[in-house]
Amino acid sequence: MSAREQSSTAVFLYRNYRYLVISGLTVLAFAVNLSGILVGVTVILSHVFYFPIIVAAYWYPRRGLLFSACIAMAYGLIFVSFAPMDYLLGVATVSRMLFFVLIGGVVSLLSSKLRQSEQQLHDIIEFLPDATFAISDEGAVIAWNRAMEEMTGVLKEEILGKSDYAYSVPFYDERRPILADLILKDNPETEKRYPFVRRESGRIISEIFIPRLRGGKGAHLRIAATALIDSDGNVCGAIESIRDITDRILTASALKNASSRLNTIAGIIRLDLAKTLAVLYGRLSVGVMKFNDPEVLSFIDGLKRSVDGVQRQIEISRVFRDIGADPPAWQQVQPAINDAISKLGCKNATFGIWTERLEVFGDPNLPTAFYHILYYYLKDQAGPVRVVATYKVLENRCRILLEVTGPGVIVAPGGESLFAQWNERSGYGLYLAHEILAITNMAITENAVAGKVAGCEIVLPPEGYRITGWRV
Amino acid sequence: MNATGRDNNNLPVYLDDDLPVIRELRSDEFSYANEVWRDYHETTGDPATDRVFAVFTAGRIVSLARCRWHPDGYEVDGIFTPDTFRHRGYSRMAVAALVEACHNEDLYMHSVLHLTGFYTKFGFAPIEEKDLPPTIRDRYTWATGNLEGAEVRPMKRPAGL
Repeated sequence: MSAREQSSTAVFLYRNYRYLVISGLTVLAFAVNLSGILVGVTVILSHVFYFPIIVAAYWYPRRGLLFSACIAMAYGLIFVSFAPMDYLLGVATVSRMLFFVLIGGVVSLLSSKLRQSEQQLHDIIEFLPDATFAISDEGAVIAWNRAMEEMTGVLKEEILGKSDYAYSVPFYDERRPILADLILKDNPETEKRYPFVRRESGRIISEIFIPRLRGGKGAHLRIAATALIDSDGNVCGAIESIRDITDRILTASALKNASSRLNTIAGIIRLDLAKTLAVLYGRLSVGVMKFNDPEVLSFIDGLKRSVDGVQRQIEISRVFRDIGADPPAWQQVQPAINDAISKLGCKNATFGIWTERLEVFGDPNLPTAFYHILYYYLKDQAGPVRVVATYKVLENRCRILLEVTGPGVIVAPGGESLFAQWNERSGYGLYLAHEILAITNMAITENAVAGKVAGCEIVLPPEGYRITGWRV
Repeated sequence: MNATGRDNNNLPVYLDDDLPVIRELRSDEFSYANEVWRDYHETTGDPATDRVFAVFTAGRIVSLARCRWHPDGYEVDGIFTPDTFRHRGYSRMAVAALVEACHNEDLYMHSVLHLTGFYTKFGFAPIEEKDLPPTIRDRYTWATGNLEGAEVRPMKRPAGL
């Protein structure tokens, strides 16, 4: 036989080995049973038929029932043709035939369900938006989805079943362990190849720039690898998911550059303004010493209040820059409000701050938010007032109430635009407070009672507050 | 120690060198209040349901007031000043703090008869026993509908400053 003939035979055997196995087992079962009948053995040997029935039903679930029925019929024919006629033997033969059909049907059904489940899993991986592949515990590629094909240009037919780190070649142009391999085996050398490797809830996460992707332009990838676990809880492989975050990185970089330039310009302007204001404050102080005329002094005092306003706007612009720069954290409300009060320097107000056990999840600039809220409600108060800060727990929410009361309290509702970007009465201060609170989904609204109470309420989201020791 | 004035109830007000500090207790400070309350029907505070307001002088608790959450309302009780610190206005400070801190809720209480005038100053008004929230009313079921006989009177303070 020539080499070519040998090769074509091998291909035939490979493609049809299932048919060959089932045929072989069927012939064997018939041979054994026919021989048995001829020598008078009519029990036990019929079980041999279960081998071709089970194998056929497992491999070909849609035809398993038909196959087992054919086997049963053929088995019956053998008995009718070669076995002695006997009532009990006939009953036993019919029952065996029924069992053949039953076993074939049950295995077909189970196999069919298993196939459906496998297909669903395959579809889930196949249509994941992120490029995803999986390897077995021996390092062979067992899944390679459509997004992976698009990202790397390597078709699944070309890579499925391959091992020896074949999956790393499309990315790194060499066979080497990658993030998924760290799931199967710790390797410090592999970790060193990534800018960072973070472990989170059983996942290994990293980000890397791959120069050869995107037609040689390079791509920033976020990679996450996790273990495949078998029914016994053992690691039987690893799955790696890859997301192209190039656009996001470029956008973030552009925003950072723009923000940096703006901050630099704003910083320069703030510094120049601060110097100018320092000179202005100095001249106002000289003016106070130089003049005795009450009218002039009153005029100077008005000027000073205007300069204070400018100073405050500069401070607001600085805080705007810092909003969101540091992550939110749990903060006690009482010190935050007390901090704001200490900066107010308000002489005609007394305070009842009753938020001792309340904590909120908020931006670190929370005291600044309280400062601007209190400043707004106190700046126009001419007579003595009392500021009361309390909280009210509702079903699963909480409201902080800031109220200003007193015999001569001035209540001037600001309208719906009070916390908007610009308000004629509040300037940018309340908008700044609104933005600081909004970072962690706190909402602020005005809550005034005409002629009696000026103030507002801050609504805290269910997950955004806690009262130490209070019932849950 | 000299009387330095009279309060709204015409009681003498004394002021030590250490000015009183009034604040709500943190949950980890409830045990200090429980020690003070030992002489007051062995009352105890529970951080899960109570807000406790205390007056301090020289770092020690001299008066207490408690606002307890019930499923159907808030009850004020546990207003207590140890004998050695009485007649200096500390109870008034503690109750004033509680009322201001909890003014968002309707507040209920059982006042002993001779103090109803005191609580009226804080906005409490006598009510019928049947107007108490059931859970709060049930605390005095032993009086079997005769609270006057038990020398207590139900009172209510509507929410508001």
